[in-house]
Amino acid sequence: MISFKNASVTYPGGVHALRDVTLDIPPGQMIVIVGLSGAGKSTLIRAINGLVPLTGGDVRVDGRSVTQASGRQLRELRAEVGMIFQTFNLVKRTTVLNNVLMGRMHGTAWWRTLLGRYPADDLEYAMRALERVEIVEKAYVRASNLSGGQQQRVGIARALAQEPKVLLADEPVASLDPPTSHVVMRDLQRINRELGITTIVNLHFLDLARQYGERIIGLREGDIVFDGRGEDADEQVFRDIYGRSLTADDVLEAKAEL
Amino acid sequence: MTKLDTPIAAVSQARPRRPRATGRLLLNAALAVLFLGAALTVEVDLTRLLEAPAAIWRILVLMFSAPDWSELERASGLMLESIHIAWIGTIMGAILSLPLAFLAAKNVTSRTGSTVVRQVLNAIRAVPELILAIAFIPIVGLGAFAGTMAIGLHSIGTLGKLASEAIEGIDPGPVEAATSVGAPRMAVMRWGVLPQVLPEIVAFWLYRFEINIRAAAILGIVGAGGIGEGLSQTIIYRRWDRAGVYVIVIVLATVAIDAVSSRIRRRIIGGGDRAIKTEADMVTDGHGQSGPDPAKGPNPRDFG
Amino acid sequence: MSAAGVESAPSRQRRPARPRRSPWAYVSVIAFLALTWWAGSDRFGIGFSVPELIENATRAGGIVSDFLDPQWIYWTALIGPFIETFQMAVIGGVIGCSIALVVAFLASKVTTPNTAAYLADKALLNILRALPDILYALVFVAAVGIGPLAGIIALILFNIGVVAKLLSETVDGVDLGPSEAAQAAGGNRFQQIRAAVFPQVLPNYLAFSLYTFELNLRASTVLGIVGAGGIGTLINVERAAFRYDRIAVIIVAIFVIVFVVESISIALRRRLV
Repeated sequence: MISFKNASVTYPGGVHALRDVTLDIPPGQMIVIVGLSGAGKSTLIRAINGLVPLTGGDVRVDGRSVTQASGRQLRELRAEVGMIFQTFNLVKRTTVLNNVLMGRMHGTAWWRTLLGRYPADDLEYAMRALERVEIVEKAYVRASNLSGGQQQRVGIARALAQEPKVLLADEPVASLDPPTSHVVMRDLQRINRELGITTIVNLHFLDLARQYGERIIGLREGDIVFDGRGEDADEQVFRDIYGRSLTADDVLEAKAEL
Repeated sequence: MTKLDTPIAAVSQARPRRPRATGRLLLNAALAVLFLGAALTVEVDLTRLLEAPAAIWRILVLMFSAPDWSELERASGLMLESIHIAWIGTIMGAILSLPLAFLAAKNVTSRTGSTVVRQVLNAIRAVPELILAIAFIPIVGLGAFAGTMAIGLHSIGTLGKLASEAIEGIDPGPVEAATSVGAPRMAVMRWGVLPQVLPEIVAFWLYRFEINIRAAAILGIVGAGGIGEGLSQTIIYRRWDRAGVYVIVIVLATVAIDAVSSRIRRRIIGGGDRAIKTEADMVTDGHGQSGPDPAKGPNPRDFG
Repeated sequence: MSAAGVESAPSRQRRPARPRRSPWAYVSVIAFLALTWWAGSDRFGIGFSVPELIENATRAGGIVSDFLDPQWIYWTALIGPFIETFQMAVIGGVIGCSIALVVAFLASKVTTPNTAAYLADKALLNILRALPDILYALVFVAAVGIGPLAGIIALILFNIGVVAKLLSETVDGVDLGPSEAAQAAGGNRFQQIRAAVFPQVLPNYLAFSLYTFELNLRASTVLGIVGAGGIGTLINVERAAFRYDRIAVIIVAIFVIVFVVESISIALRRRLV
């Protein structure tokens, strides 16, 4: 259970990224957050694991406050929240396996991190995570040698290796081509359904959002302007969220035809 | 293994074997052997090693707790001499290196010709200034003149190399254009090549000047002029309170000149991306040697 | 305009006046000439004169002919001091580069967000680098006595200065994404640096270290001049004895060794990054 209570974020310079957001996310849901760039999607997601600190209000994950957590408590909380990034954020100069093992580092002794020697258990977790995204054969390949879609699957494996209760995905398909986008979205859907991990995904393509979102939350200038089931989000709803008429850029399939 | 124990969706995938890291292991072992071998055989007295931190600390305290400021005037005068040496030496190096740089550039001179000139430049670079000074002293006598010659000669090597690399990196378009209108070779160089590389080369000169200041600060140790002479004397006579003044003067002068010179350099290069790139192109180690840029690693222009 | 073979188009375009040069151009040229005259003059500066150079060179004919007629057999005496030079370069390099690794992470905003700590480290590095290695050797010889120990300590400081500066600049430019990922996975600062930043800069670090070894070799040839061990010690001895035929051999040997090591190091570095 994730709950936002009057959460606000104001960046230095006076930009209001989130305004007084109150929101409850029950466990196991697959949620898609939509909105224009700059609407506060990224901030909302990063508030959950404390990468962006709130300037007002509170966020709680399973009852624990993110805003009041100490450094160590915050790291423990982050260990239970996996994250996937638009640009994959892999260390390209090292192996796929080393990248996935990063997901295990919260429980690792400092000297093990220093030497890069993880316990056999952690190795097993990492391997299973790679098997789940069907890329285990690349375990000892340098991350830079993978395609974009493969790199994002490694990113997912890294998050899975954490054994997370919550998975945050910040524009996971924005750097991918349409067919690969569907592969990655289906991976996320499967993880959500088979493992019961609460999954929160930022997207800006409305067709993807409708197809994969159990629940859709629309953000506009830091305010929640829509919160409902995926099938209820018709074009009028998206026009309201975007504050303008829809264009070909808002639809993945249209992009595919170009 | 709770969640990940759920059946894996795909067909059974073969986990790859961990590749062997023999090469890396060998390399590490070789380095360890080299280091231990050197450390165990070098003639260092262990008791001295243990006393070293205390001894160094004692001297630092002597140097900087109560500097003898009466020495400031002499120190500043000698520092000024070092700056003169660096200035004239850099100009000498700059003037003489320019034609050599053209001769060493592969896109200007023939393959064999450029290789020969390039190796000559490399050879000059390989001998440290201090040793060149030792060679010049018997010829021109003790003093600043010998130091200037040493710095000038060494600068020919380093500046020639950097400038020739800049020339090799030019856009061939203007050269082709100048050649196509039938311009003589000299005119092609003057109007097709030089304008493209001059800002960069002038920046190299200034950069070299910064390095030469440091080099000129130590030439006095062998009697080739500048502040090194005063410093080594005070140290030989254990006048640490005075030596401290010399060190302070050297640090202040070097840092101040670096600041001014790097600002001018940035202006010449025109700021922005190019300034950053050039900074990285030059190895800014600031200690007398300029080499290939290790930040770039595989620099195909290093050796031709 | 037929003389130029170009028919001027009968248009109303005005030819611009030739732009005036910026006054700064004149100021710079005058400043440059004044500085040079001041630095080179007999009265204020170093007294640079070409005729004197030629006169001196002819007078020193004996020494020059000694230089040009090296006593080649002397090379056997160089082996021992050269081994010492190598030892110094290796020990100083390994210790200096290891310390520099830590210092570099402290000197980058990326890995040390505490502004005061990072600025203090940067300032310290700048002071460290303002002094030439041989000055360190001069002081350390007085502190720990004549011999390679003083030279090794000087090289350690010198290497910290070089590698920490170059590496901290590389760290400034790393991709921050992996670090954010490590943070999101619950890693502490040390783990973020080790797992996300370090692998990105490792090849550069190795290249810098190799490069420093090369610089060390060059530097340790002259450290002996102030008594800090290595081949430079011999230069002092032979200089006192006016044996320029032997000094010539030493210079040639330094040149050959530096040249060979540099070539190997460049070839290795090229494969690294």
